[in-house]
Amino acid sequence: MQLINSSKNGKPVGRALAAATCALLGVQATDSLAKGQPGEWDVETALLVYSETDDRVQAAEPVISATRNFDGERKLNLKLVADTLTGASPSGATPSALPQTYTSPSGNGSYEVAPGEAPLDDTFKDTRVAVSANWEAPINRDYAYSVGAYGSREYDYISTAVNGTLSRYLNNKNTTLTGGLSLGVDLVDPVGGAPVGLSRMPINSNKSQADFDQEFAATRESDDTKTVVDALFGVTQVINRQTLMQFTYGVSYSSGYLTDPYKILSVIDDAGGANYGGNLVGSDGNSVYLYEQRPDTRLKHSLYWQTKYMLGNGDIMDGSYRFMIDDWGITSHTLDLKYRWQMAKSYLEPHFRYYLQSEADFYKRYITASEYNAGAPTLTEASADYRLGEMTGLTFGAKWGYRFNDDRELAIRAEYLIQTNDGDQGFGSLASQDLYPDTNAMWLQLSYSF
Amino acid sequence: MSTITVSAKDNPAGHPLPQLHGDQFSWQGRFEAMASPCDILLDGVNRKDAEQALAFAAREAWRLERKFSRYVSGNPVDQINHSNGEPVAVDDEMALMLDYAAQCHDLSHGRFDITSGVLRRAWRFDGSDHLPEQEETDALLNLVGWNKLAWHHPQLALPEGMEIDFGGIGKEYAVDRVLLDLKQSLPEGGSVLVNFGGDLACSGPRPHGKAWIVGVEDHQKLSGSSETLSLRGGALATSGDSRRYLLKNGIRYSHILDPHTGWPIPDAPHSVTVAAPTCTLAGMLATFAMLQGAEAEHFLEQQNVQFWVQR
Amino acid sequence: MPDSRLFHRPLKQTRRALTLIAFFAAISVTAGCSNLGVKPWERGLLADPDMQLTVSGVDAGLDDHIYFSKEASSGGRGFGGGGCGCN
Repeated sequence: MQLINSSKNGKPVGRALAAATCALLGVQATDSLAKGQPGEWDVETALLVYSETDDRVQAAEPVISATRNFDGERKLNLKLVADTLTGASPSGATPSALPQTYTSPSGNGSYEVAPGEAPLDDTFKDTRVAVSANWEAPINRDYAYSVGAYGSREYDYISTAVNGTLSRYLNNKNTTLTGGLSLGVDLVDPVGGAPVGLSRMPINSNKSQADFDQEFAATRESDDTKTVVDALFGVTQVINRQTLMQFTYGVSYSSGYLTDPYKILSVIDDAGGANYGGNLVGSDGNSVYLYEQRPDTRLKHSLYWQTKYMLGNGDIMDGSYRFMIDDWGITSHTLDLKYRWQMAKSYLEPHFRYYLQSEADFYKRYITASEYNAGAPTLTEASADYRLGEMTGLTFGAKWGYRFNDDRELAIRAEYLIQTNDGDQGFGSLASQDLYPDTNAMWLQLSYSF
Repeated sequence: MSTITVSAKDNPAGHPLPQLHGDQFSWQGRFEAMASPCDILLDGVNRKDAEQALAFAAREAWRLERKFSRYVSGNPVDQINHSNGEPVAVDDEMALMLDYAAQCHDLSHGRFDITSGVLRRAWRFDGSDHLPEQEETDALLNLVGWNKLAWHHPQLALPEGMEIDFGGIGKEYAVDRVLLDLKQSLPEGGSVLVNFGGDLACSGPRPHGKAWIVGVEDHQKLSGSSETLSLRGGALATSGDSRRYLLKNGIRYSHILDPHTGWPIPDAPHSVTVAAPTCTLAGMLATFAMLQGAEAEHFLEQQNVQFWVQR
Repeated sequence: MPDSRLFHRPLKQTRRALTLIAFFAAISVTAGCSNLGVKPWERGLLADPDMQLTVSGVDAGLDDHIYFSKEASSGGRGFGGGGCGCN
């Protein structure tokens, strides 16, 4: 009987044995010699490519996340993400039977939209880089804590945050209670300066350059900040040998500049006559568009429930439901289901997500001329951003992963999102326009862990 | 010194009651289980906690001894070994052990096999030069082979004449099981070392970061220690033949048998000691190393563990 | 009789309140049952890395960021990433 080939690497055997021993003793994977060995870095790298239909946003995002385990279940995670964004997104204006001209955010140019087309603003490309660090450690047998920090920068936005959590184990680690707090400060420095909310977008036509510049300068505010305080309370509970559940309640309070500086609303003429339902024309002969304005505080509550269940054959079902409600009048439901089908050295995981959102109180697809009131609007807040409107999102996806051994895995994931919106259908000539086009997006991710 | 009371129900084999020595905060508890002297060393706990810990450790060790020993009439292993091919339903703990045995069989390419115990009918390792005949061992090979039994959770069907034997896993598993449970129940600041006949594991360093001092046995002296180790965490296990071997014509036959041939693994080291995070893993790595014969050191070098091989 | 908000809760608000109550009831029932759970030697399946609540932090982070920039809701599970100018 021949001996085991001595030149073959015995390391995979040791790692597999360590994992098998963990399963026998019922200790967590981090106690083992395999992935998570103190002194080694476990790295996960990925590249995401994202694309929306109809020449809208395209993005590419490389990510690298490295975790280092130390003795005694302590671990450090460092993550770096970059994303490059190109393409256009809806500006909030409504399509029209006539061609439309808009001023670009910097004030130095303008862009045109053909009749019947959805107005998209594509005058900027953006690159964002984000770094985050997170440290977890036990305090004693019953308590553990974590602290983390985050920072990101894009050319018109800086975001920073710190967070901390405390966990308490009960019932032989069958129950874990967690409390956490996060504080964030964002600095908004939009191209061209933040516009004054509900002021009129100046159009560089039918007037001199000097007059336009003056008009533009008058609609600007300085850059602004946004602070966010988040708190969460969660319970993780082992139900039985194959089932694990988590319940989390979260509350989030943001204040400061919450408006999107690049979004506008169309003002629609509601005076009877030839222009009923068309763009209101101002005294300078140009259509009237207003910059949006959102409230300067927002309080959100969310409830999240997740269950993981392992079947007899090793396949795993993962389901979660999230309910969100806030003081902007938005309520949302999110249902997420995954099924991980285990095969010898690989797995296939189909995924389905269903999202339903109601519109914000101040969401308005357009403003009427009466509400515009010749420059003294009767509203204090309004936004036509489709992301605050009534929305349904369906995502279908799948992930396929191949495990070379205990700590090397290659995976590819594809997701397809179909988002539909609804709301006020307009009046007069506006009613014949498509005010709520679908958004379809697809993303593909390639990851490698080692 | 005090004697710990354990009820007869928890001590079916009738072992002598555990004894506790020590004072203040350092304690040494001793009892017998699995044909080995068992020590529970505690530091940083008071007498009452030490007594409770020792009582618990003895009860748990005796429970596992009774469950996994092949000598206890009527226990799960005995029922399986006398099932005459009929399927037997096993409980969760036994199922995990069988899964583990299956994985070890796989990972060792069949050299680790809990059905190989029947070969002891041909081999008596008493230091003499009495080797069995090839026909004897070949006949027994018909009753050896994990692939011959059918294990489908929760049913195990063992063909008639075959036997399963958890001797290669049982003691180390007991060390880990007792240690994990004591770790949960000991008060803050206490640390414990569980040592069942040389297979040991500790919960961490002693108070104030001091280390546990353990000795590694030298096969040639057969008593005393040749080397001492400072242990601040993890476990140690030894696979060795210090007292069990045959010697004929200057060739030493170790008691580690190859289930494929029915004969000892050639060039097996005299003993292998491995340090690993758990006793079960340390023991299995040591066993795997022994099964590699001449390649034992090479195998262990690739595992990033501390090890001692004596030839 | 004066029209008081207390007596005329719209259906939507009632549904929201009921969802909240149901949620908290579920949490208390589950967490309150301390006989739920497993013995130490029964944790084998749960120790499988695929049974973690978040299997891939990278996947979760990327998806959270995409949905944050396309919807009005965010988070829920824990503190993931931070902000960006995309919403």
